[in-house]
Amino acid sequence: MESLYPDRAAEYGEVLSALGRYMQEKILPLSASYDAHSNSIAKARSELLKNGILQISHPKEYGGLGLPFSIYNLAIQMLGAADASIALSVAIGNTVAEGIQMFGTEEQKRGYLPRLVSGDALGSFSLTEPASGSDARGSKTRARREGGNYVLNGSKMFITNAGEADLYFVFAIAEKGPSCFLVEKGASGLSTGEDLPKMGMRGSRTAEVRFVDCRVPAENLVGEEGRGFDYIKAMLNGSRIVMGSICVGVAQIAFEKALEYSKQRTAFGKPISEFQLIREKIADMKTNVNAGRMMCLYASMLKDAGAEFSSEASQAKVFATEMSVGVCDSAIQIFGGYGYTTDDIHRHWRDARLLTIGEGTSEILRMLIASRELAHSI
Amino acid sequence: MKIAVCVKHAVDESELRADPSGKPILQGAASKVSTFDKNAAEEALRMKAKSGGEVVIVCVGPAEAKKTIREALAMGADKAVHVVSDASGRDSLATSYLLWKALAKSGPFDAVLCAEGSSDTYEGQVPPMLAEWMALPYAGYASKIELSGSVAKVEQSLEDSSQTLELTVPFVASVVSEINEPRYPTLIQIMQASKKPMEELTPQQLSGPDAPTSLSRVLDTRVQSMNRKKVVFEGAPEETATKLLDALKAEGVIGA
Repeated sequence: MESLYPDRAAEYGEVLSALGRYMQEKILPLSASYDAHSNSIAKARSELLKNGILQISHPKEYGGLGLPFSIYNLAIQMLGAADASIALSVAIGNTVAEGIQMFGTEEQKRGYLPRLVSGDALGSFSLTEPASGSDARGSKTRARREGGNYVLNGSKMFITNAGEADLYFVFAIAEKGPSCFLVEKGASGLSTGEDLPKMGMRGSRTAEVRFVDCRVPAENLVGEEGRGFDYIKAMLNGSRIVMGSICVGVAQIAFEKALEYSKQRTAFGKPISEFQLIREKIADMKTNVNAGRMMCLYASMLKDAGAEFSSEASQAKVFATEMSVGVCDSAIQIFGGYGYTTDDIHRHWRDARLLTIGEGTSEILRMLIASRELAHSI
Repeated sequence: MKIAVCVKHAVDESELRADPSGKPILQGAASKVSTFDKNAAEEALRMKAKSGGEVVIVCVGPAEAKKTIREALAMGADKAVHVVSDASGRDSLATSYLLWKALAKSGPFDAVLCAEGSSDTYEGQVPPMLAEWMALPYAGYASKIELSGSVAKVEQSLEDSSQTLELTVPFVASVVSEINEPRYPTLIQIMQASKKPMEELTPQQLSGPDAPTSLSRVLDTRVQSMNRKKVVFEGAPEETATKLLDALKAEGVIGA
């Protein structure tokens, strides 16, 4: 911390260590119960939000703390380790807040940002559709202008926080092209489907969001009509780093569990941590977790500096999410039969597995990274 | 109502490691606000919420203890007094003396709250010593404090009994962790804590001719290790259950 932020290391350190303690005491002990569906994340998420995690990187004038985005990312890395589902749900809420902060009107910022960052309201980002994920331009949701309103029709799929959110950030095609709208919970014509069963991230809610002649006031258009694609690209750039950060946390906790187990489990009369092949795994797991941590931190520091960071964000997400699946897989391997049969071990692999798909598949991100590199080459 | 809360900058026992001989490695060890001190701060803040007034954090500790003090301030205390001293931690008599002098300088207080003991060494000596220095009534191990006017009713949680005392303000009390659940400061409160007033004092400024000479010296500290027997009974459930029952009886864990 001292080398990264020489002037404000103590302050940032105190914020992060207080949050870390909070997560350790209030969230981590309940994490397995969220995966087992025996408990809802709603209460812990609400208390965490009230504690201020989403205030970190937002400007003070809208209720934030005005700290760097990289500090928020470090907080999310800790949250990913404490509970990936809460991390996902909270992070999506922040993506919506970021979208409003970057592209919203002053009225939208004043109206929504303080509520979103203080935890009074939860956000949901509605982009993917049943027939279009990575191909956002193929979106079939339409927004028709009618007097002082827009009328939305269509359906969004695999939407995190659907049914729980107070505000939906919706991507739809209007007359002038792709546009974004803010739809409040309770809007006429807005409905959500059943919670979709998932292999991991079971604490977070994922469902379809439907719009049938859903009327939203014209002032709920974000920015300008027709520029929605640019907005979501910018939002996803930040969000991708955060998804990578969640995976760094997931890998970290899986690694810690496997490390501890390797010291206790004996084979041929000695702890398995004494065997070279296990030691190789331990070394590789730790190295990979730290590499992912650094890539996410680097991309977020570029964002803080106002530099171009879209390729670095994609690189961080590709690496950290795939790394996490690999590290969690190694953890299962170290635990052997117990790893395959114990929810509390294999849930980390199941959690990490979502994020090589969500918020940009690894394949799409590789396309983006390569395109950028090729465009820069002579 | 002006309430002082004494806090200790303690070694974080959950992160503490020992060398092969069992000696704790204190060099570079993580530190934090002593766990139960948060209960004392919480109780003071609740008293303030009811009766109004001010909560002052008082700490005798090294320069790094500012972190601990800020943590207590973030909970909602109004200001702090930091006696910067490297000598504290294990010399209860010297610590209690410096606390007394610091309290006298920034007081008078209606109540002085401490924890029953610190979470690192848990000697529990400072609170009663402090009461003695201050010549004030003292209630240790408080599990409930009810203030009504200038009288405090204090329930004490003792080893196998409880006792209720009536004290007149000003008084000194030490609290047990069961007394309340300390609040978690929000991130905004954590950031604002550094802007709250913190007075710095030195032992030289406070010590007078009545300063005590240490009565005890720490010769050695070892981490207590528990050797588990790790007995495994094999066989059919009925058989192993009987064996387990016999073993527990033989160990005196359950009655014969």
